[in-house]
Amino acid sequence: MIAVLRILLGRVLQIVLVALFVTVGTGALVRLIPGDPARAILGSRASPEAVSALRGELGLDLPMIQQLGESVAKLFQGDLGTSFAVRGQDVLSLILPALAVTASLAAVALVFSIVSGVGVGLWLALVRRPEADLAGRLVMTVLLALPGFMAGLILLYVVSVQLKLAPAGGWAGSWPGNARYIWLPALALTIYLGSLIARAVRQAALDTIGEPFVQAARTRGVPRSRIVLRHILPNAILPVIPLVGLNAGFLVSGAVIVESVFALPGLGAKLLEAMGSRDLPVVQGIALITALSIVVFNLLADLANIAADPRLRRSH
Amino acid sequence: MAVVAAEAPGLVPARRRRPRRLELRVGIGLIAAVILACVVIPIVNTTDPNALVAAPLQPPSAQHPFGTDTVGRDVFIRVFTAGRLDLALAALGVIVPLVTGTVIGTVIGASRSRTLDVVAMRFTDGLIAFPFMIVVLLIVLILGPEAQIPPLPPGAASVLAATWLVNWTTYARLARARTHVLRQEDFIAATGLLGYSRPRIVVRHLLPSVSPTTATFAVADTLGIVALIAALPFLGAGIQPPTPEWGSIMYEGRGVLSQAWWISLSTVGVVLVLGTGVMMVVDSLISNTRRARLT
Repeated sequence: MIAVLRILLGRVLQIVLVALFVTVGTGALVRLIPGDPARAILGSRASPEAVSALRGELGLDLPMIQQLGESVAKLFQGDLGTSFAVRGQDVLSLILPALAVTASLAAVALVFSIVSGVGVGLWLALVRRPEADLAGRLVMTVLLALPGFMAGLILLYVVSVQLKLAPAGGWAGSWPGNARYIWLPALALTIYLGSLIARAVRQAALDTIGEPFVQAARTRGVPRSRIVLRHILPNAILPVIPLVGLNAGFLVSGAVIVESVFALPGLGAKLLEAMGSRDLPVVQGIALITALSIVVFNLLADLANIAADPRLRRSH
Repeated sequence: MAVVAAEAPGLVPARRRRPRRLELRVGIGLIAAVILACVVIPIVNTTDPNALVAAPLQPPSAQHPFGTDTVGRDVFIRVFTAGRLDLALAALGVIVPLVTGTVIGTVIGASRSRTLDVVAMRFTDGLIAFPFMIVVLLIVLILGPEAQIPPLPPGAASVLAATWLVNWTTYARLARARTHVLRQEDFIAATGLLGYSRPRIVVRHLLPSVSPTTATFAVADTLGIVALIAALPFLGAGIQPPTPEWGSIMYEGRGVLSQAWWISLSTVGVVLVLGTGVMMVVDSLISNTRRARLT
C-alpha cells in the first residue's frame, strides 16, 4: 500500500509540474511567433485604433510575465481561457470534439495492438519450427521499421484503393458510422505498437519457459495447454503494461500524424487551424491537453502494473 | 543450442554461441546500401531533380524506375537526392543531442549534489512530457519558413532547432542512470581514492563507459528523426518544396495515391530498407544472448 501511495504522490506531483511547465513553456513560445493575433483577427484593413483596442481586450498589451501568470492562475481553476479567433468561445469546448476523435483513434489502436501483440508474441514463443520463428522475427523487425504514417500510406493504397474495403480517409461525425473510418488508421498505428508488444511478449514468454516452476509443472505432467494459459501467459503479458505506458507519447503524436494522412478532424487538424489564425489560447490548450494525457496515461499504467503484479506491492 | 536441447528435450533454456553477428552485418549492409545509393545515384544520373522530364504521373519504366510525379519530374532521382538531405538532417539531429545529452547526464550523475540531481531530473521530466510535434510546429512558426542556415534548404533550421532543444533529455537520463551504476564499480571508486580531479574522472573514466549506452540509443533514434522530418509536411511544416525531401514527396503522392501509387510508395520502400537496417543493428547491439525454447 505504501508503494502505491508513493507512486501516486510522485505522479500527481509530476502532473502538476508538467502542467505548469507546459503552460509557461508554450505560453512563452507562442508569444514569440511573429505576427500580431489582434491583426490576424481583424485583417490587414483594420485601423490601428481598433487593433490596439482588441489587444487590450485580449490582454495582449500586458507584460508577458503577467500574461503567463494569469494563464497559470486560470489553469488551476480548470479554465483554459477563451479563444482569440472564435470570440468568446471557451477553449476547452473548442478542443473537446477534436480530442474525442484523437482519443478514440488512440484507444482503438491500443486495443488492436494489445490483442494482436499478445496473440502473435505468444504464438512466436511457442512455435516449434525454427523457420517460423525466424520469419516471425524478421517480419516484426520490418514492421517496427515502418513509421505509422508510412504504414498508413501503404494500407490506404492496398486496402482502400485496391481492395476497396475502407473509405480513403474522412470521418462520419457520429457513432457508429465512424467505425467504418477509424479501423484503418488504427491499424496503421497498430503496425508499430503491436509489433513492439509482440516482441516483448515473446521474450517474456521465452524467459518464463526457462523458469523452474514451468519445468516443475511439466515434470508433474500438467498438460501443455494449461502450462501455456495458467503459467506462461500471466507472466508474458506483464511487460505489456509498462511498455504501453512508455509509448503513450508515441501513441498520441502518432495518432496526430496518422489522422492527417487519413483526413480525420482530430487534434492535428485543430492545431494547424489554430496556428494559422494565431489563436494562442487554443494552441496552448492543445499542447497542455496532449502533455497531460501522456502523464495521466503513465499514471494509469503504473497503477495497472501494481494491480497486475503482486510482487511490486511486496518489494517496497 | 543443440547440445542443451539434446540432453533434455522440452522446456529448456538454450544459449546462443554467437550473439547475432549476421544480423549486425545485414543491418549495416542495408544502411550502407541506402546511403551509397543516395550519394552515387545523383552523381551518375545527372537529371535535375526539379526538371520536368516527361508527362506527369507516368508509371515506373526503364527510363524512370520510380515513375514521374504530378508535374512530370523523375521520382527516382528525387527520392535519392532527397535522401542526402534527410540523412544529413537526421545525422545532425541525432549527433548534437547525443553529445550534449551524454555530457549533461554524466555530469549530473557524477555530481554529489542532491539538489542539482532533483532539479535537473524534474526539468527533463517536463521537457519529455512536452509533445514533441507541438514544439517542432511552434518553432517552425517562430523562426518562419524562410529561416535558413546557409548550406541547408529553408525549413531545415527549425527542424534542427526543435530536435536540439528537446532530444538531449532522453540521452541525459540514460547517461545519468548509467553513471549511477558505474559509480558502484571498483574502478570508479579507485579513481576517487587516487585523488583524481572530478573533471578527470568524468572525462577519462565515466564518459568512455557511458557513451556506448547512449550511442546505441542514438542508432535507434536516427530512424525516429527520419520519420519525424518526413512526417512534418503532413502537418503543414518541414522542408519547403520544391527541395526534394522524403516527407514532401510522400505528401505530394498522398493526394494522387489512387492514380499514382509509385510517388508515395517508392519513397516508403526506400525508407523501409533503411529502417530495417537500423532495427537490425539496434537489435544485435542490445540483444540478450540468452534464449529459451519450448519444444
